[in-house]
Amino acid sequence: MAESRRTVHSDRARRFVADEARTRWHDEALWFVRSKRDAAADQVPDWEALRTEAGGIKRAVLSRLPELWRQFEEEATQAGAVVHWARDAAEHNQTVASLLEERGVRRVVKSKSMLTEECGLNADLERRNIEVVDTDLGERIVQLRNEPPSHIVMPAIHLQREQVGALFEQEFDCPPGITDPDTLVALARKDLRARFLGAQAGITGVNFAVAETGTCVVVTNEGNADLGTALPELHIACVGLEKIIPETRDLAPFLRLLARSATGQPISAYTSHFRGPRADWGPRGSELHIIVVDNGRSRLLAEPAFREALACIRCGACLNTCPVYRRSGGHSYGATIPGPIGSVVEPNRSPSRHSDLPHACSLCGSCSDVCPVRVPLHHQLLTLRSHLSEAGHSPRGRRWALATTAGILRHPRLFRSVSRWGRQLARVMPERWLERWALPWTRERALPPIPAQSFRELYSTRARREGGLSKSDRARREDGPQAP
Amino acid sequence: MSEARDTILAALEAARPPAGPEPERVPPPGMPEGAIARIEQRVQEAGGRFARAPAARWPTSIEWPTPLAQIRHLYCSGAAGHPEIAPRGVGEGVHDLQDLDPLEVCVLRGRFVVVENGAVWHVPASPLERAAALLTDHLVVVVRAEDKRATLHQAYEEIAASQTAFGWFLCGPSKTADIEQSLVFGAHGARTMQLVLLDEE
Repeated sequence: MAESRRTVHSDRARRFVADEARTRWHDEALWFVRSKRDAAADQVPDWEALRTEAGGIKRAVLSRLPELWRQFEEEATQAGAVVHWARDAAEHNQTVASLLEERGVRRVVKSKSMLTEECGLNADLERRNIEVVDTDLGERIVQLRNEPPSHIVMPAIHLQREQVGALFEQEFDCPPGITDPDTLVALARKDLRARFLGAQAGITGVNFAVAETGTCVVVTNEGNADLGTALPELHIACVGLEKIIPETRDLAPFLRLLARSATGQPISAYTSHFRGPRADWGPRGSELHIIVVDNGRSRLLAEPAFREALACIRCGACLNTCPVYRRSGGHSYGATIPGPIGSVVEPNRSPSRHSDLPHACSLCGSCSDVCPVRVPLHHQLLTLRSHLSEAGHSPRGRRWALATTAGILRHPRLFRSVSRWGRQLARVMPERWLERWALPWTRERALPPIPAQSFRELYSTRARREGGLSKSDRARREDGPQAP
Repeated sequence: MSEARDTILAALEAARPPAGPEPERVPPPGMPEGAIARIEQRVQEAGGRFARAPAARWPTSIEWPTPLAQIRHLYCSGAAGHPEIAPRGVGEGVHDLQDLDPLEVCVLRGRFVVVENGAVWHVPASPLERAAALLTDHLVVVVRAEDKRATLHQAYEEIAASQTAFGWFLCGPSKTADIEQSLVFGAHGARTMQLVLLDEE
């Protein structure tokens, strides 16, 4: 059962790459964002030192989480906010729903938050007959299409304008064939403006929670988190345990890095700092409820090899640079968070479902090179492969092949005879058979030509011909095996 | 829910990694040469407009999105106040923030502008002012030209000391690139944003 539920990245990717033109567009669009990131980083002379500083702050935070969250709770409460705690997605959704239901709220606007996505909040609220509207344009588009975001910063990057036009034609009663982005955005703006004005509550994620002051910082380019919280009387901010930073001054390195890493902008259009609810001015006042969510984060903290992934600030730079992500699309990961960071976080959260993801990686290391907080992503992905395999999460075929190979390699004589007979057999077998036998490895790769002799055979032939080993050969032999 | 709180804090305690080294702090860079020109460039890159004007006559010396005399709905922050531009069509009579919509122009006064990114730090005087800044079609932000901070490092030192309830950095108009990476201004909030640096005479 577990086998059949496992995400198989390559199978999903095959669906995406079937459209060659779109795949190329997707690849180039993301590479363009990556280039903008490089240009923005080049303009900051202390960029590498900033990455070290930000990574250092986050790593230090990981050893201080209990006291930082206690401090945050105390400060936020003092500022008039109410802090709630949720151990898992169900508890989080229940807390949101209770806050809304107690106040008779039926219409909610929500800005982008991977946490609520992870918790499946929308579906939960809809079951309770609460209308929840995603207000980030990309998220609104995927919400209307009833699919998850394919990127953590650019949720609809997998779609092309014709698809958005067709969607809006259905949803907004507009003439067919509109593909101009300005017109499409204007249509969405008009519809969403009415929803902002009619909303009874606004839900947002949190980019940074500052322990020193109990402040939540929320960053957007569209201003949707702000419109969603400036008008209604209830603001619910959902924050993962990893989002805490100690002091206000720590915001400087993170905000200098965040937008530059994400989209190549020096800063996003709106960076809002909420310290408590809006001042109590009668009917214009508001409530601020902050829900602090664990949902597997404390478990990740307990994993020394992977806990640094909690330093992630969700900029998406590792997705934009990843050769696999760019060519396979976010949906091929079958997880809330795709790309390199998702391939670390998601299998840690549910190993049986996502054990394939660390293999959707060429170990090129580009993700680690662009990460603004220096999470060693490709090292983690490699380590995670072995952890998952040791825990028995590899596919049966791979387990069998590796066990067999290990058995053969442990016995030199067996190895020699298997390799000799295998080579002879492979040389006479039709290539087609051979390729079928080596599936799925040979699906996108050609087998190398099979040599007539092994290295060992070649070597001893040569040694015999040249009359024994040379002096340096003997010396090398005595030193034991050398690295290639 | 306090049970959840205790469980979470205990789990964090149990998983607490050993304390590592203190983070290395980057000494903040100083004020660059040609700071004003940099601000202008950053604001324009963010899709905003930039102007410099004498503090005493700025309303008559900048270019308004619609001619000033023709603007019917205008919110002007008291702090940005100038005899030429009293609020029009909105004011303390507004009971529901929603009634601000549609607003043509909103004028704010920023506390300072950050040279490295062109963002303005603004602390709304009221919930009404914050809503106006979002519901308006056109945003005009005035800041004294001398109120510049080199980077966010200097900016946050000042913000940390001020302990405001709500404050935000604003940089350029509301924007989105969610449809095929095509940049479009006016996604939700202001369609245009103009930064006006004021020179004392």
